Amino acid sequence: MNAPLRDSAIRLSADVGGTFTDVAAFDETTGALRLGKTLTTPKRLVAGIENGVGKAGSQFSAAQLFLHGTTVAINTILERSGAKCALLTTQGFRDIYEIGRVNRPESYNLFFQKHQPLIDRDLRFEIMERMDAQGTVLIPLDEEQVLKAAQAAVDEGVQAIAILFLHSYRNPIHEQRAKTIVSTKFPELFVTSSHELSQEYREYERTSTAAANAYVGPRVQRYLTEMEEHLGTAGFVGNFLIVQSTGGLFDVGDARQSCIRMLESGPAAGVVGAKALCDSIHISNAIAFDMGGTTAKAGVIYEGNVLMTGSALIGGYATGLPVQMPMIDIQEVGTGGGSIARVEVGNALRVGPESAGASPGPVCYGLGGTEPTITDANLVLGRLGADRFLGGEMPLDLGAAKQALNERIATPLGLDPIEAAEGILRIATTKMAHVVRWVTTERGLDAADFALVAYGGAGPLHASAVARELSIGTVIIPRAPGHFSAYGMLVADLRRDFVNTWFTPLADASFPAMEEIFAEMERQGRATVGRGQTLSGVAVERAADMRYVGQEHAVTIDLPIELFTSQDRDGIKARFDAVHQTRYGFSVATEKAEIVSLRSAIIGEMRKPPFEHIARGSAEPEAAAFRGKRPVYFAGSGFVDTPTYDRPALNAGNRISGPALIEEHASTTVVHPGDQVEVDAFGDLVITVRRG
Amino acid sequence: MNDMVKAESKTNTKTMANPVVTEIVRNGLVAVTEEMKINLMRTAYNMIIYEALDFTVGMFDARGNTVSIGLGLPMFIRGMSETVKAKIAHFKGDIDPGDILLTNDAYITGSHLNHMTFSVPVFHDNELVGFSCCMAHWPDVGGTLMEGTTDIFSEGLQMPIVKIHRKGLPNEELISIIRTNVRIPERAMGDFRAQLAAVKTGEKRFMEMMRKYGRDEVLGGIESIMDQSEALARERVRAMPDGVYEAESFMDDDGINVGQRVPINVKVIVAGDKMTVDLSGVSKQVQGFYNSGITAGYSCAQVAFKCLTSSLDLPINEGQFRALDIVLPAGRVVSAVKPAAMRMWMTYPMTIVDTIFKALAPAMPEQVISGHHADLCVGRINGRRPKDDSFYIYLGGLIGGGWGAKFNSDGRNAVIAMNDGDTHNGPSEQVEAKYPLLIERYCLRPDSGGAGKFRGGLGAEQVVQARHPIRFSSLMERARCKPWGLFGGMSGLGNAVAVHRFNQTDETHFPSAKALNQVLQPGDAYIIRSGGGGGFGSPLERDLNTLEHDVRCGYITRESAETYYGAVFARDSLKLDIAATQTRRAGMKQQGLPHDEPITEVIIPFPSTTQPQVREPEPEKLTEEERVAFAMRCRCCS
Repeated sequence: MNAPLRDSAIRLSADVGGTFTDVAAFDETTGALRLGKTLTTPKRLVAGIENGVGKAGSQFSAAQLFLHGTTVAINTILERSGAKCALLTTQGFRDIYEIGRVNRPESYNLFFQKHQPLIDRDLRFEIMERMDAQGTVLIPLDEEQVLKAAQAAVDEGVQAIAILFLHSYRNPIHEQRAKTIVSTKFPELFVTSSHELSQEYREYERTSTAAANAYVGPRVQRYLTEMEEHLGTAGFVGNFLIVQSTGGLFDVGDARQSCIRMLESGPAAGVVGAKALCDSIHISNAIAFDMGGTTAKAGVIYEGNVLMTGSALIGGYATGLPVQMPMIDIQEVGTGGGSIARVEVGNALRVGPESAGASPGPVCYGLGGTEPTITDANLVLGRLGADRFLGGEMPLDLGAAKQALNERIATPLGLDPIEAAEGILRIATTKMAHVVRWVTTERGLDAADFALVAYGGAGPLHASAVARELSIGTVIIPRAPGHFSAYGMLVADLRRDFVNTWFTPLADASFPAMEEIFAEMERQGRATVGRGQTLSGVAVERAADMRYVGQEHAVTIDLPIELFTSQDRDGIKARFDAVHQTRYGFSVATEKAEIVSLRSAIIGEMRKPPFEHIARGSAEPEAAAFRGKRPVYFAGSGFVDTPTYDRPALNAGNRISGPALIEEHASTTVVHPGDQVEVDAFGDLVITVRRG
Repeated sequence: MNDMVKAESKTNTKTMANPVVTEIVRNGLVAVTEEMKINLMRTAYNMIIYEALDFTVGMFDARGNTVSIGLGLPMFIRGMSETVKAKIAHFKGDIDPGDILLTNDAYITGSHLNHMTFSVPVFHDNELVGFSCCMAHWPDVGGTLMEGTTDIFSEGLQMPIVKIHRKGLPNEELISIIRTNVRIPERAMGDFRAQLAAVKTGEKRFMEMMRKYGRDEVLGGIESIMDQSEALARERVRAMPDGVYEAESFMDDDGINVGQRVPINVKVIVAGDKMTVDLSGVSKQVQGFYNSGITAGYSCAQVAFKCLTSSLDLPINEGQFRALDIVLPAGRVVSAVKPAAMRMWMTYPMTIVDTIFKALAPAMPEQVISGHHADLCVGRINGRRPKDDSFYIYLGGLIGGGWGAKFNSDGRNAVIAMNDGDTHNGPSEQVEAKYPLLIERYCLRPDSGGAGKFRGGLGAEQVVQARHPIRFSSLMERARCKPWGLFGGMSGLGNAVAVHRFNQTDETHFPSAKALNQVLQPGDAYIIRSGGGGGFGSPLERDLNTLEHDVRCGYITRESAETYYGAVFARDSLKLDIAATQTRRAGMKQQGLPHDEPITEVIIPFPSTTQPQVREPEPEKLTEEERVAFAMRCRCCS
């Protein structure tokens, strides 16, 4: 039983996913962490959160901080359930949102699709105005036309208006003025202008970003309002903060305007949690590996920093909608527990990306699934226990899984069922290894130099195999890997990110001019980052997107502030050369560089909760932790009678040699023959992976 | 039958490779070429590589057969394999670790001299096991800046097959020859380095796979991947009705002999699980600059074949084409021999691919597509920047165009043509920051998509103002032979180019969408218009809700809806009168309407070109900003 928590210093976090809502309750005074997992309640998400808070043994009235990650924004886009919107844009550019980048990734598919704009063409209005690339006004804003267009949009029943004018990253006055005009006349509309979200060039990407914000805005606002009302009713008097795609927090007031910044909040929080974990055990290079039912995701922590990207395509490469803003660089592959294995023409064995999802689910769930999945393979190989799934709450049908594997995979390929199951996992492992390799090699880094922090329901089952594939030596399975995003929120900081496109050759770049741009970004950041919060400090990070003169692609270079205060032009160039060398294998000290954009992140540091240590034990786990043996298949060893352990009963300092299984409520850690596990002071499993 | 390329039959004795290892190798090969692609893209110096992605990377076996090609130019699907084979034949075994082989020989790559093609041999335990390759488009390889070439020598530096690195050491003399023959050597060397990095990445990853999974497993896996691909393709061909299918189309002209059509006749024979594409009916090579080498001709057949049999099967590999034979004698416009001019090599093959679909339409209506705009729709611009007088070359346009409709859906609006795959247009904001140009408009062309039960996709229009003098050329095609419809679908609008002079009323149009060497003064603008796709099925059968939406959104004008779709609108509104529309449609059907005009017969005479036009006096003395704005306002309101 969870003891009632003291009511003075409780932090609550809730990660609402498609299937489950995870809640974490952390008591700052005792360091105690309690978790609750419940089914998501799609019709009224707050109900699920309330249940989860109860399951975590807490209540809103006791909390002083509520941290929230939500899929409401991204689902609104993916399900196309957002507001009716209009776009006001520069004369001549109404179609840019529909034309996009004209590429055809599925180059041989005559039935290819392209992105579908969130705003129909009849609601995209052109406004007479024009700026040039230097920000000089060529044609002043036709204010009357703005008003007429807004009126026409309102007559059509729109709830939101997005504004994109060319070169607003350089000079936003026309966007600002148009927004004022529309908001003043129609105060009930949700109005968003592109420069508020992105001050980087690329008009299509900025249009798409502003349009997406308008599209999700009204629904996100309603959701946040409902949540605030609920929190009020529940007696919550603390601060309510939302997780952004950067992994940083922002207050609910900002979240109501820049809704699009919360797009990837759940996955981002997981990476932030992985970083905090690494900080606590003094690891500076790690890959955050999150495997769930349909996908596996990977993010990178390098030299103690989470690696970021400047844009993403929401909905996939071929037909996704671009969102241009800083976010954690997370890559994913369609390999998860529910991924289906199939034999295709020519006896080709394929695993995923089709997924059985939660319904019908894997064959062994007995809910009507007929095609074998990765979960079925894990069960057949003994890695999952038929009577141990979700703490034994959900018995699995081993016979049905075996039969499906045999009929659909093994027999057509002339393999025995065990070989087939093992083969499916091998293929899945290499596919996931590719995505992990990808996030490192695209930066010129070698995955083998990193630790792997694995979480998500299926992460611990596969982490060791993925690590071995990449010659990674250390795998860390955090406590409660199935609740890890909710945990990550507890350790996040407040954060504001700014980017300002400023095309200038480095040799001509004036330090006072740069300082002015940085100072303005930092002024705005400081003014908003800590609103209503008690911060333990404010940190400022600077970076510049740079390239060699003539190159198209720019690289983001983190730059210590001292390089600017000492006006060290050569120092900046040297850092750029070094990063270019690492990432792309060459650099040219004699070649000129240019600045494309300046970046600044303002971080409002929250007091970090110290995590509780678990009880210390000897190298040998207590007898109570041992839960018997069962046969488990490992390549090269065949079926081995493998000991299983109850994770909550393990103590710090316990050591276990593979093969072994370490089971907990929502997850099983597979320890391969030759692997060594040690439980650390916080209860994390640290696996030393046998070299493959 | 030396004109005929027989698909290679396997000589190796069949070894049953493990299906699990095969799948792991397959995923690994796709990842290798993807990594090569990203590496090249991110390090390239030119917009054509980074933004437009005009390049192709791939892995090949020790005989030069395609093992995996990364997403790149579809029409280059064959070019690298043939180039590797030519290099193998050239060096006759004299290939060592650390060598890097280079050529841009247009008759080997099949394309233009801009396509610098690098290959690195991959060795495992001193055995040559494959090649890592990279072709990328250099914006300049020397040659004349004037368009209208009639032989290869005026098109730039020709680099025969050479070792640009020999056992790890760069050949500085050859590099010096390249530097001397290009206009912007620093940029060229940047792309050179980027390509080296890409092929080195492929080499490294392939060697790692060999070490990790074993030589026999990897090579056996590759054989199995090819067998799987072959089986899939054969299954699809077997499902096609046997027969001999033919179609014809034409190119407007060769850019030199204006208005003289260039015939494109194709024949496709389907027999059992084998398809033969016979291109001997394609025109003889032409005087102008639209020729391509025989590998481009092979690519035409392979691209069409892949689209119809295994469009999403990855990686692209030799096995996918074992069920395909190609007949193509030398000296045709897609099998041209020296000294044919090749600068616009990519244009005709796209139409040949479309014509193959047209031929097969009666046999497989649910797999084919109506005609598309079939041109890259680019403008070539050069000039000097006012701030430092530096010379620049800008490949403008790539605006995308309309694609054909299919049996179950409309064609797509404004997407890049068949030659290119993952090619992106450049952001207008970037163009204006880099060059003294102003994009006044970039929009869809209403009514450009061919009418049909399913409508052809819309073409696009881009209007670009010169803020300082530029030289402009645009060599498009398919202005007169418009993108055709199928099964009663109508043709889309053709491609077009125009120049609008400062403060003048009318645009200057160009015959067959070819504007050569136009000098534009400040305030003048060029206009590129891409064609739409052809429709599918009679427009009188188009769903009325969809039609209403088309008109409301302006994809179709009210007038066209009435003329081609039989629409009757309720008075003063854009709402359809359903009953009246149905009556009108029935009447039109009886009369055999609407009438399609798939060919534009009007030939516009060439305007006097290279001479700068006499300029109208400016209305008053304007500052540069005022002049730009004035010119823009005139055009946008005219």
